[in-house]
Order: sequence, then C-alpha cells, then structure tokens
Amino acid sequence: MAGIWVHGELAADGSLAKLSTEVATLARSLAGESGGAEVTGIVIGADPAGGAAELARFVPRVLVVTEPSTVDHAAGTIVAQRLAALIEERDPDIVLAGAGPEGRDLAGALSALTGRGVLANAIALRGSPDGPIATHSVFGGKLITESALTGGRGIVTVRPNAVTAEAADSPGSIETVAPAGELTQPAVPIIDRIEAQGAAASIDDARIIVAGGRGVGGPEGFGLIADLAEALGGAVGATRAAVDSGWIPYSQQIGQTGKIVKPQLYLAMGISGAIQHKVGMQTASTIIAVNRDPDAPIADFADMVVVGDLVEVGQAILAQLRERSG
Amino acid sequence: MPPVTTANRAPGPFRLTEEHEMLRDAVRVLADERVAPRAAAIDQTAEFPEDLRSLLADHDILALPFPEEHGGLGGELLSVCLAVEQLSRACATTGLILAVQELGSLPITIGGSAEQQARWFPKLASGEQLIAFALTEAEAGSDVAAARTRAVRDGEDYVIDGAKRFISHGSVADLLVVFAVTDPEAERHRRLSAFVLEVPTDGFAVTRIEHKMGLRGSPTAELAFDKVRVPAANLLGAEGDGFDIAMRTLDRSRPGIAAQAVGIAQGALEVATAYARDRKQFGQRIGDFQMIGAMLADMDAGTEAARQLLYKACVEIDAGAPDASRWSALCKLVAGDNAMRVTTDAVQVLGGYGYIDEFPVERMMRDAKITQLYEGTQQIQRLVIARALLGKGG
Amino acid sequence: MRIVVLTKPVPDPASGGERLGADGRLDRTNSPAVVNGNDEYVLEKALKLVEAAGEGEVILLTMAPATAPETMRKALAMGATRGVLVTDPPIGGSCTVATTRILAAALKTLEFDLVLAGVDTSDGGAGVVAPGVAALAGLPYLSYAASIEPDAAAGKVRVNRITPSGYDVLEAPMPALISGTQALGEPRYPSLKGIMAARNKEITTLTLADLGIDAGTVGTAGATTKVVDSRAPEPRAATRVVREEPDEAARQVVALLAERRLI
Repeated sequence: MAGIWVHGELAADGSLAKLSTEVATLARSLAGESGGAEVTGIVIGADPAGGAAELARFVPRVLVVTEPSTVDHAAGTIVAQRLAALIEERDPDIVLAGAGPEGRDLAGALSALTGRGVLANAIALRGSPDGPIATHSVFGGKLITESALTGGRGIVTVRPNAVTAEAADSPGSIETVAPAGELTQPAVPIIDRIEAQGAAASIDDARIIVAGGRGVGGPEGFGLIADLAEALGGAVGATRAAVDSGWIPYSQQIGQTGKIVKPQLYLAMGISGAIQHKVGMQTASTIIAVNRDPDAPIADFADMVVVGDLVEVGQAILAQLRERSG
Repeated sequence: MPPVTTANRAPGPFRLTEEHEMLRDAVRVLADERVAPRAAAIDQTAEFPEDLRSLLADHDILALPFPEEHGGLGGELLSVCLAVEQLSRACATTGLILAVQELGSLPITIGGSAEQQARWFPKLASGEQLIAFALTEAEAGSDVAAARTRAVRDGEDYVIDGAKRFISHGSVADLLVVFAVTDPEAERHRRLSAFVLEVPTDGFAVTRIEHKMGLRGSPTAELAFDKVRVPAANLLGAEGDGFDIAMRTLDRSRPGIAAQAVGIAQGALEVATAYARDRKQFGQRIGDFQMIGAMLADMDAGTEAARQLLYKACVEIDAGAPDASRWSALCKLVAGDNAMRVTTDAVQVLGGYGYIDEFPVERMMRDAKITQLYEGTQQIQRLVIARALLGKGG
Repeated sequence: MRIVVLTKPVPDPASGGERLGADGRLDRTNSPAVVNGNDEYVLEKALKLVEAAGEGEVILLTMAPATAPETMRKALAMGATRGVLVTDPPIGGSCTVATTRILAAALKTLEFDLVLAGVDTSDGGAGVVAPGVAALAGLPYLSYAASIEPDAAAGKVRVNRITPSGYDVLEAPMPALISGTQALGEPRYPSLKGIMAARNKEITTLTLADLGIDAGTVGTAGATTKVVDSRAPEPRAATRVVREEPDEAARQVVALLAERRLI
C-alpha cells in the first residue's frame, strides 16, 4: 500500500497546529491497520522549518515545501496547489487534514484540483482491506455513520480531539522538496491582521470548555465563566443567544451555525441545551450542566446536572478549584 | 343531477403552496407578537384598534386584496383568507379589519370601471383609507331587495336619502359603498344601484354605534343620509346593477367570514388544549380524561374540516366556478357553526375559568356568534345551498 | 452589483426528522426542507449589498431535486431576484467532487461580481464545496467572512476572515467567491410584499446536458465516497441530578472532575 500523508497545518506564527499532531497520531494507527503503509507529513509554508520539526516528532518522514507567498496571502488555495503537484508526482493513497477552517479550505481546493473524494469531519478513522473507514457524527449527533472512499483513495478531514496526540518513539526525517509547476490560482493577499479585543483561547481544539448561555445574564456574567475556564485550563464557549446579545464574540459560538467541538469536559452554565446548541457539543466526553431548570433539554444528555443558580454554584466550584491548586 | 363543480380540475397536489405557507406564517408571527397581546383590551374598551389598523397597513396586509397596478399585492381569495384566519386566531376584531376592507372593495372590483378602481384602490391598498359596505337596513336584512334608501338623479349628482344599519366600520370608514333604490318601479332585482360615497360629507351622519355581544372593538354603525349628494361618476356599473353587485360581492366575501370563524375556532382550540395539558385534577392532566380528550379531538376535527372546505371554496371561487354562491355558502355555514360549537366547548373544557375574562375563550365564544349571523345568517346560507341543489323554483 | 448565492435545501434541523435512507443517502421525505442556515446569512448580506449599490441582482444557484423550488421561494421572498436550479435525476447521491464540478459549470452560465456561499451546511457539513468551486472556476477565494465590503469603483472586495485570534483582512479583485458565517448578520423575515412578489419570480432549470456533464460521472454512479454503515450513537450514561446546596453541589462536581482526571 502506498502512503498516507498528513498535512501539517501552520498557525500564523509558523508553529504547528495542535490539530495536526492529533491527525498525525491518527495516521500512524491507520498505517498500522493498513499493512504498514508509510506515513509522511507535509508542511508547506513561508517558514516551514519549525512546524516541520514539530511534525517530525509524530511521523517517520516529513516533506517540506518553502512557499513564500503564504506569509501574506490566504494559505488554503496556495497550499492546495503545491500539495496537488506533490500528489501528482508521488501518488499517495490518503491525504489527511484537519477539519478546521484551514483544513477545510485546503481539502476543498485540493479535492477540486485532483478530483479525489473527501471524507469530511471524521471523528475516528480505521483501516480496512478497502481503505480507510471514517466515522462521522451526523444530523446533530442523532446518527453515527461510517464511510469509505471509492477505491480506498482520497482525502479525509479529521475533527479536533478524535485522538490524543502522542509523539512517535523516534523522530522522523525531514526532507526539503520543490514540487513542479506554477501557482495558477489567484492568490488573495492578507492586507491586515486584526487581533480581536479580548480574544479568548480558541475553542476549536480545547480540551476543556466552559460555556455560557442566555442564563448568564450579561457580558459581566461571562467574567465568572472566564474565571472557571482559566481555573480549569480551558476555553470559553457560548450559545448563539449569548453571541447574538453581544456578550461574547462569534468566534466562541458553539452549535449549528457556530463551531462543533469535542472537548474532554464541557461545563454548561445556564444553557438549556436546545437542539441548535446540542449539535455543537454533545460528543463531549463529559458534560456537566448547571441550570435552574431540572427539565431543561440538556438534562437528557449531560452526565451531571446541578440544579441551582449558576452564579452561586459557579463561584463555589471556582473557590474549590482554586483551593485545590492553591 | 348534482351541481356542476370544478372539483376535478383542481390543479396540483391538494396542499398549500410554499408561498401560501410563508404568507400564513408571516401573518401568524405578527398576530402572535403584536395582535394577541391587545385582544383582551380591545374587547374591554370596545374601541376600534387604530394601532392595529396601522400595523396591518404597515405590513401590507391591507394591500393583499388589491391589484398590483394599484399598489396592492394581488392576493387571490385564498391569500386574503389565510391572513384573516391568522389574525382572527388572535383577535376576531382585527381579522375583521381586513375582511371588511375586502368586502367593501369587492363592489368596486366587480362593478367599478378602470378609472374608478384607479381612483380609490391605491389609498385602500396602502391602508390610508378604510372602506365599508352599506347594504343592510333596519327592515332589509336577509331580504336585501326590500331596501328603502333612495337615490335620485339630480343633474351630475345623485341625492341619497335614507338610513343603513349594522354597518361594520360604518363610523371609521373613509369610503362607503351605499346601496340605494334608483328605480322603485323596476322588478325586485333591478331596483338597487351601488354608489361610492366619500365621507364625511354634508347630510351624512353616524347616528348610533351598537353595543354588541362580541366583536366589540369593531364599530357597527347606524348611518343616516339626508339629501347626501354623490357625483354620478361614483355610480358603480349601471343603474339597477346594485343587487347583482351585492350578491356577487357576498359570493366572494363570505369566505372571509368563514376564515374569521376558522381562526376563532383554532384560537379557542389552542387555548383549550394548552389548558387541558397544564390543568391537573384528581392527580392527572384533565386532557387525559377521555371525556375531555374526546372533546378536544372533535374540536380539532371540526375545525380542520371547516378549514379545508374554506380553502377549497377559495380555490373554486377564484377559478371562476359557476357555483361560487354554493361554495361560499357552504364554507361560511360549516365554519360559522363549527366556531360556535368549538368556542362553547372550549369554555366547557376550562370550566369556571372559561367563563371569566382571565382566559380568552369567553371572548372567543361571544365573537364566534356573529359569524353565524352576518353576511347572511346560517339560514340564508342553507337557502343558497338548497337553491343550488334544486335549481330555481318553477 | 450582481451576486450569485449558492443555496442548498437541507432537512430542517429543528424538525428532528433528519435520517438516511436504506441506500445510505439522505432521506428527504421525512422532514421539511429549508434553506441551509449559513446560506441565509450570506443571502441576507447579498441582499444588503445590492440594496446599498442601488442596482443589480441576487441570483440563487441551487443544485437539488426537482422539488427544490418550494424552498427557493423563501429565498426569493426574502428578496433574491431570480433562481437557477440545477436538477436532473442522475445528480441524486452526488458526492462533494461532483457537486463542486456541477456548481462550477453552472457558474459559467452566469455573469456576476461576487459568489457567496455559507461556510458549510447543516446536513453534509463538509465545508469543502465552496473552496472547490472557487478552484475550478479560477476565482479568488475568501473564506469564513465576518464582513464583506465590495468597492465597485475599484473592482475589489475586502473581507474580514475569522481567525482564532481575530480577523485577517483579505482583499481580492472581483469577481470572487466568498464563504460566509452567521457573523454577517441575521437574515430578514420575508415581508408580505416579498412573499407575493416571489410568486412571479423566475426559476430557471438547468440539466446536466445543459452543462455538458456526463451523467455517469455524477450521482451515485460517480461518487467518490460511500456510506457503508450507520447506527444510533451509544446512549450516554444516565444523568446524575445534583440538588444540594451550592457548596456541596460544587464538591460533587469537583469530585467528578477529579475522578475523570480532568483536573
């Protein structure tokens, strides 16, 4: 069997995305189930050395392409073109990418350029004689499906927290390559980068999320949510109602039209658990809800529901967490 | 032989189209959010809800019955009825604002010239003006042709003398379609003519507002005409066309009353259902008692049957069915009787709470009664239907 | 300003009736179809941009079964000018690769300054069709837009792309393809005027033959992926309800966190 490739996604500062370390870990176990297929990491960027070295901790071999234009242009389409050229030259069976915004942009363009199919948003991946089988949670978690690629070849995007990242026993080699061909797709310049005020920790791949809903009552109420998140080493999430009320930026929204997350812990403060929100968080490993209403929908799928005032209970949890760590 | 119908030519699947559902839902949201909270106060104060008239105008609901070239939305009868139904579900008085605007404008649609339509429709479509339909008199109710109000030609004008009674919106309308006798010697159905009267005008007076059992926010007026001059240019159709215009108007307007009745019944059903779900007696929801459950089931079945007959009647009438009179009478008869039965049962389901104004069902029951009376009593509807079945007597 | 909006009818997520058929494909019969949520946000933005420009049109481009006009009408009632529906029985069961090819081919039949699409859909949710269409059509691609500001005079469009820490400000010449999010703003309710006007709006139908696409390369026949199994998710363990006073409740929460090695 030919190779399994892992796209090493670079953050704006050139570091490797945490999601890519998970995808790389998953690629190794997939290779083990696929008759020892070779796993290769691919890092494409203006200054790829740091990300490549990081990815090499997880896979036996990393191919590096220096592509200066990604420093100040939207990366997805550019990386897709370089990757498509490499695929043309070396013909791997499977390309794995993260299922975040960067990975989706990349996978979409790459699929169009190569004609290869995409299994999107895998929450698990296993080998089979017919190629990889991806597991998906669909229809807001009402159904688990397993899907295959026709001919066993194609692209798979993987959701955060599908596996816990684990480095390989020994670091892999790093090889610089230069795929042939010109960039023919129009490049889109980044003319400015704006740091949002009070930009919170990203919820995309957070291990712990403390989320607030309408019940939080206002922007100041999110102070307690943020304190809890900090004490737990997690990120702050929110329902659409809280975002629509302007209490917290859209980047923190979880649910149907926000982000879909799969943290180890989801602490839901004043969140009723309506279907639109549920679809974004119900695959969390542990769900704890604090809510006044014991009959709120979230009680149907949480591991624990604390019936009470979220401020009182939240402050009590915070005090006990600080006591433990202090 | 059964009456000719166009039933077999009804196009497409027997469902509302996406546009009809959107329209219904848009009006329902407005009715729930803006109309329902006002309904009890409108009933208690018995004042015409100018604020809701503006609301209907601002949301183009009053534009529904009018052609697009005159600023309307070109809605066919079904669209108008869907809107009346949803408004009446929250407040029958508010539903009637649209129904009467439709009723009053139909004579102009049916008998008016293009010039007359262009003159009056734009301000009616925008809701800037309201129109009322002045046909009934104290001694001429079901027997329309017995009207005594006279209109006599005098140069370029007609001069109207007489009185009208039970005129919905008669005191708040800017335009009145007045039916008056122009030729007392003609055969019964050629005696009347229809005029559009712009009010206020000299000699016109509102002499009384009725105190009614229900529909209290909707002013029902007695009107007096003392040598009121109306230009001949305001005559709809020809002299003697009045009776025919009135009958054809009622063929198209009765579904509006049926829609009001379906809306009232649906509103009562929803209140009763919610109550039966929440109210616990003897340790269980009262809806789980079979006697209550069966009442709710019958209320739903009757209301849905009335609704489907109404929608079907609208489609048939719009398609130009030759038996439009029958369809309009059928739907008003069924919907009016159903509304009375369902609202009465809703009061029963709520028990003592249904009899007091803490819940809206007593108002709905009082409002429902009028749908069995106006635009032809239920007895007249049966007469119309029987005539359609039997043909004209020999 | 001419804007094409890619809209997809999806089973209403609020209906709870979404399911797969025996063939592993979406069963559209069990729940009402609605316009995909993210598509409504970009449609709203498209309508606002055309209103601000004072001229132009918003064209819906949809690939869907022949029943789709029912859902396209709501978008038309919101104010879109007209619709283009690509529909052909062989399209059923198409994967994202075929969908991307078909939409890119349909775009070639239209003139536009911008193409807008929701970042993903509530049924498939792959989020790969928009970038794929941009690549096949050779259009600049600006994704995850929180704002869209075209400058018609300069022939450019500026987009704030959502990033984990804020925004990247992107700029590209028009025509361009932009995928957008809820941050673009709440979609309007259709007005009665809009609803009634929608009845007379045109929905043009395109078939595979019109687009020069071989029916054997799309649909189930040409699919690059296949659902091989589906099952109900593992039920979650029973919920533990804690009704104690805040301090005791917090103690139980912290104990659970410790037990599961979350702290």
